[in-house]
Amino acid sequence: MSARSVRTGLSLLSPAFLVMAATLLAPVVALVVMSFWSQSGFDIDRSFTLKNYTKLIEPGEGVVWYGIHFPFAYPVPAVLMIKSLAMSLVATVCVIGLAWPMAYFLAFRVVRYKAMWIVLLTIPFWTSYLLRVFSWKIVLGFNGAINSGLMWSGLIKAPLEFLLYNPIAVMITLAHSWVAFAVLPIYVSLEKIDRLLLEAASDLGDNRWARFRRITLPLSMSGTVAATLLVFIPTVGDYVTPTLVGGPGGTMIGSLVQQLFLRQDNAPLGAAISIVMMLIIAALAGLFLWLIGYGRMRRRIG
Amino acid sequence: MQRIKFIDRMAQGKISRREMLKSAGAFGVGMAVLPRVARAQGGPLVCLEWGGYDAAEYIEPYVQKHGGLPDFSIFSGEEEALAKVRAGFAADVMHPCNYSVGRFVNAGLTTEIDTSKLSNWPDVFPSLQTAEGVVLGGKVVMAPADWGNSSIAYRSDLIDPAFAENPTWEIFFDDAYAGKVSMLDNELVIQIGAMVGGMSYDEAYDLSGEALAAAAKEWGTKGVNTSRFLWTDPSEVQQAMASGEVIAAYAWNDLVKNLKAEGIAVEYAKPKEGLFTWFCGLTLLNTGKADPALAYDFIDAWLSPETGKYLIESSGYGHANRKSFEIANPADVEAMGITDPEALMASAILFRTPPDEVQVEQNRVWGDIKALKM
Repeated sequence: MSARSVRTGLSLLSPAFLVMAATLLAPVVALVVMSFWSQSGFDIDRSFTLKNYTKLIEPGEGVVWYGIHFPFAYPVPAVLMIKSLAMSLVATVCVIGLAWPMAYFLAFRVVRYKAMWIVLLTIPFWTSYLLRVFSWKIVLGFNGAINSGLMWSGLIKAPLEFLLYNPIAVMITLAHSWVAFAVLPIYVSLEKIDRLLLEAASDLGDNRWARFRRITLPLSMSGTVAATLLVFIPTVGDYVTPTLVGGPGGTMIGSLVQQLFLRQDNAPLGAAISIVMMLIIAALAGLFLWLIGYGRMRRRIG
Repeated sequence: MQRIKFIDRMAQGKISRREMLKSAGAFGVGMAVLPRVARAQGGPLVCLEWGGYDAAEYIEPYVQKHGGLPDFSIFSGEEEALAKVRAGFAADVMHPCNYSVGRFVNAGLTTEIDTSKLSNWPDVFPSLQTAEGVVLGGKVVMAPADWGNSSIAYRSDLIDPAFAENPTWEIFFDDAYAGKVSMLDNELVIQIGAMVGGMSYDEAYDLSGEALAAAAKEWGTKGVNTSRFLWTDPSEVQQAMASGEVIAAYAWNDLVKNLKAEGIAVEYAKPKEGLFTWFCGLTLLNTGKADPALAYDFIDAWLSPETGKYLIESSGYGHANRKSFEIANPADVEAMGITDPEALMASAILFRTPPDEVQVEQNRVWGDIKALKM
């Protein structure tokens, strides 16, 4: 690459970089700094301490949560972390499961008016995130759409109560909220697949399933992986959805951070938990990419 | 502020085209000079209010004088509002209660109220003028406005008659009612649990350390598991009671009044462990940017007898102004039962606030219990 194109590249990047530095880097640095402070009552003590981090792993009596023993003196963050990761994982699997066929349909079956189909796909996102979460509350509610429908059809006598205010409601809502974000990257990777490869495979005797397994699926992996991370990473820390449809049983780690900052007068501990959460998610994302052999895959495609 | 009236008239089609054009012209000119004028007057009045109180009916004299509502910011609990102000939210007025105003005072966020600037102050019940919470450390920090109860509201048509005969807070900790009741999302659940366990409120309200941990483990967990959901928004619990999703809930007077008005069979219990009472009011914050005169007008409007009349008739709450009870509909006054705040406080348990560090500890313990719910 010539020096000139590097300069052009940098100057093209710089507006985005400046915005990122101001709105992402600076807050993260502030969060890191704060996580080494401590707070008592209304006052923040600015002397350096590691106690927020040691508090997270300090051994103690602990609790048993769904059969898992958490041997910590303050087990709440660990429990919520595991719970959030599990809930996000389920939501992500559902999202990919829903989005993949949609993207496939869009890439291979839709021939005319493709742009219109994509616009149609984004229609639910013309309303705000909050409204979509609220509408799930109405759908899943005690006298909501599902319950009234089932009661009307005579299938149930009393409304189902397990629909709302639990982890399942949170996972359903999260899955719906993120589907469209997953469809687009998968669609792009499917669209890029050279149709000649599929024809060649058929000519050489592959049946439909073998063709799918050996060509379509591997070549769409880059988009699928991107979609997985795009959904998994933000949903772990989500706090609006659990607050509105989760009830106490659907609490996630984001709710704890919010509590620590706003109700428990312990912003430094909240900051430490946020940092640890970021590191854990980064490690998991790295592990995920390594496990599926993303590097190998890229070399092969590139 | 004039713009709100203008929009109302426009919506009603009462504005001629000529008037419209004139206004549009004035708007253009106005836009050019507005920033300077606005700065000279200070910012708009910003009020931290409970959801539902952000309506013109509660501050009619203010609306008439200034032509519109102030900017409201809604909160669902005082600790949330406190955190917001401490994080830099520039509010002028806050609506705390007798048990929570101390938190704002201790955080150094309040300004003493000069009662001579409130025209309605002389009509406030004398017992409220000097009550703890209105006066703290010899200074008036809260102008009392509304008062009422916290108790159990229940659907008399759906509940076990045994409960209606002998109501008790135990219902929120009873497996038989699991998923059918709703408690307030507040550390009060632990305190009430301890009271069900035989403790008096005076012992329970400032539980801390080991005793708090034990009560939280026994009663807090049970309370969290018994409630269908822990409510933060009064309209949420009201809808749940109306539909029968929950048949008993921690509630304020207005819920009972509202549901009865809808023809729903609902009663307000007098639990054997006692029912709670509170009074709330307006506090001047030193974080605001508006002219203090606006804040005084707002507070004075809240204390006016017309506001009291509306409060009594529409929600069944009491009001700090004696004259409210004279002009309100006698039937509504009678339905309230007790109309003298002093008598009410003598007959019920007045909420108290523990020291700051205990309050924070209770917040933490309560948050942890909720987080560990399975």
